[in-house]
Amino acid sequence: MSGGFNEIHPEPTTFWSKYIISFDHKVIAKQFLWYGIFFLGLGGMMALLIRWTLAYPGVPFPVIGNILFPDSAGIVPPDSYAMLFTMHGTIMIFYAITPILIGAFGNYCIPLMIGARDMAFPMLNMLSFWFAFLSGVVLLISLGLPLGAAAGGWTSYPTLSTLIGQPGLGQTLWSLAIFLFGISSTMGAVNYVTTVITLRAPGMGYFDMPLTIWGLWLTAILNAIFVPVLGAGVILLMLDRVFGTTFFLAGASATAGNGDPVLFQHVFWIFGHPEVYILILPAWGIVSDLLSFFSRKPAFGAKATALAMTAVTILSTLVYGHHMFTTQMSPLLTQSFMTLTMTISIPSAIFFANWLGTIWKGSIRFDSPMLFSLGVVFVFGLGGLTGLHLGTVTTDLYLHDTYFVVGHFHYTMAASVLLGGFAGIYFWFPKMFGKMMNEMMAKIHFWGTMIGLNGVFFGMLMVGYGGMHRRIYNPFIYESLQRLIPINTFITLSAIMMGAFQIVFVINFFYSLKKGPKASQNPWEVGTLEWTIPSPPVHHNYDVIPVVKCGPHELGNPNLKNGRDFQYQTEELVQG
Amino acid sequence: MRRSEIQHGLGMTMVLISGTMLFATLLMGYAIYRTSATAWPPMGTEPVNVVLPLLSTLTILFSSYFMHQTRVQFADHKKAKMNLDTTLCLGILFMGIQMLFWNELKSSGLLVGSGIFSSVLYGFTWIHAAHVVLGLCSLVWLRLVFKPATRNLDVKLLNVEKFWHFLGAVWVIMFLTLFVL
Repeated sequence: MSGGFNEIHPEPTTFWSKYIISFDHKVIAKQFLWYGIFFLGLGGMMALLIRWTLAYPGVPFPVIGNILFPDSAGIVPPDSYAMLFTMHGTIMIFYAITPILIGAFGNYCIPLMIGARDMAFPMLNMLSFWFAFLSGVVLLISLGLPLGAAAGGWTSYPTLSTLIGQPGLGQTLWSLAIFLFGISSTMGAVNYVTTVITLRAPGMGYFDMPLTIWGLWLTAILNAIFVPVLGAGVILLMLDRVFGTTFFLAGASATAGNGDPVLFQHVFWIFGHPEVYILILPAWGIVSDLLSFFSRKPAFGAKATALAMTAVTILSTLVYGHHMFTTQMSPLLTQSFMTLTMTISIPSAIFFANWLGTIWKGSIRFDSPMLFSLGVVFVFGLGGLTGLHLGTVTTDLYLHDTYFVVGHFHYTMAASVLLGGFAGIYFWFPKMFGKMMNEMMAKIHFWGTMIGLNGVFFGMLMVGYGGMHRRIYNPFIYESLQRLIPINTFITLSAIMMGAFQIVFVINFFYSLKKGPKASQNPWEVGTLEWTIPSPPVHHNYDVIPVVKCGPHELGNPNLKNGRDFQYQTEELVQG
Repeated sequence: MRRSEIQHGLGMTMVLISGTMLFATLLMGYAIYRTSATAWPPMGTEPVNVVLPLLSTLTILFSSYFMHQTRVQFADHKKAKMNLDTTLCLGILFMGIQMLFWNELKSSGLLVGSGIFSSVLYGFTWIHAAHVVLGLCSLVWLRLVFKPATRNLDVKLLNVEKFWHFLGAVWVIMFLTLFVL
């Protein structure tokens, strides 16, 4: 069905229709980017508050502590601590990573990289952003409530999240916000899947799509299928909280029937495990492409990478039970989930080997997007390996709910996705805004982030292995954990350092936006479709819909004669 | 097939997959409640009177039939419009019967907070009803644009029809599992 239904929509003229209620995928992508960066900052501040409390229990948080917690003289109080880690998780996953990786890159890259003029359903796209916006507003309002925002963990297990554990309105608003965000994600997913299937440029088969598009497409499929599962869960949670139903409240089974708190965990993780891959797949796709672009050679086994990502997508729907080994699951089930979980190693190892194969003997250009991509290869390797200990029942029973888990999922979901997101921002910034970012500052940002992040998350793996439990306000009241105070201080200092280096990024971003040198049409010298048009692209992207004649990674072909080491996807493959 | 038909059809398919997952999750929960309960309905609770749910099932089935007829008689615009009007009326009637049903539950002493049995009855029918409201909105929208000159009217009709049949199918499954079984 390539070729598409590509109308040229009239260009909006008023400020309102151009920047606010815009139907243009490029504008919506930028809206999602601002939205995501705002929440990334907020979630990051929360992380620093959490880390401060763990390293210096009972010491007031510097500078803003007195403003935030006037009643406790600037010390983070225990209830606020629970709220902080809950909201940190929620914000980072739903309001920072999802908008940046899926909302911003998905909207920006999909039509441009497949040669379309816009998304399949531009209005749905606009609604998707404004539902996300509404959801964000609801979440922010919940932060200002007298009893505080949700504090039952980002997983919101009952009974912590029922009226017994959370009497305030915060948890209800949390459920509402997540539901609204789910609507937004589903709308986006419907749009992305349809766009990729129907609007590919003539000649572009599925394996001619850049791997970025593969990642985003698989993500969208998972979103459409599994976000509604969480939707159902949070609706029932809301009914429990507002109307007094007892879906997740255990009662006397003979007379009242029996609600089931563990059911929420099942529902949550049926969604939650695919969600992990929803977050990481776009980053995998971006990294797979960028490694090839900056190694100046074709992506090694690109087809195998695409199929391996598909295999992971399918397997990801079958392994959710490994989050629940400690909920008295039958050994038969835990063993089955363990086996399925271990099976994911196979496709993961395939594309990981392909990444290494791609950079092997390449003439690597160490530009900032490449540095961040190599960073992803490193941190995702570590994250994947630590996953083995958690997927195995025997070791997970000991490591469950320790900082080892926190370290592991931060390596996979936070570190990999963050670095992948930065790689994407540095790579597509010239196309998005028509300006180049400062390369020196980008490299400083990379090394600061990379060193800081490994200090934080490797430290977490160590204290977790040492037995430190997550979600405890002051773990050091346990004598056995007191020897972990120095490592915790080290983690916190690393976190502060990492946070400080993000200021370099923000300065670079806004300075380049205003004063950066003008970007050429193709500053990175790669051949995918978005680089065949001016930076930034015109409103309708392509004056003439391009015809695709070769794959996205045709770099370093020895037969190329015209002084370039790459060819555009619109050019016939050069043969000897 | 025309491009718009494929594109919008695919979009609607994705919406229906999402909707299916939402209701499948609810039914999975129901299966667990039902199988883990020692008695269903719990001791001391009378089984629900199925007359009103049966009526609403018939209503939504008839409305689905007329929705189908709208497309079958699409060539005859007047007839098609009448069928669409009938669908809309039956849809509203369905909501009316659901409200009577909730009132009946309430007057029989089965309140929302009376335990998991009533939680399932109220919660699931509410969630379904909320989707029926969405379906009714799309029917009203379709009715407003139902003019021969409207571009791609057949595609719009087909997709609204799919959504409406989906709501009917979900209700039939709910009726069979919650009230008959």
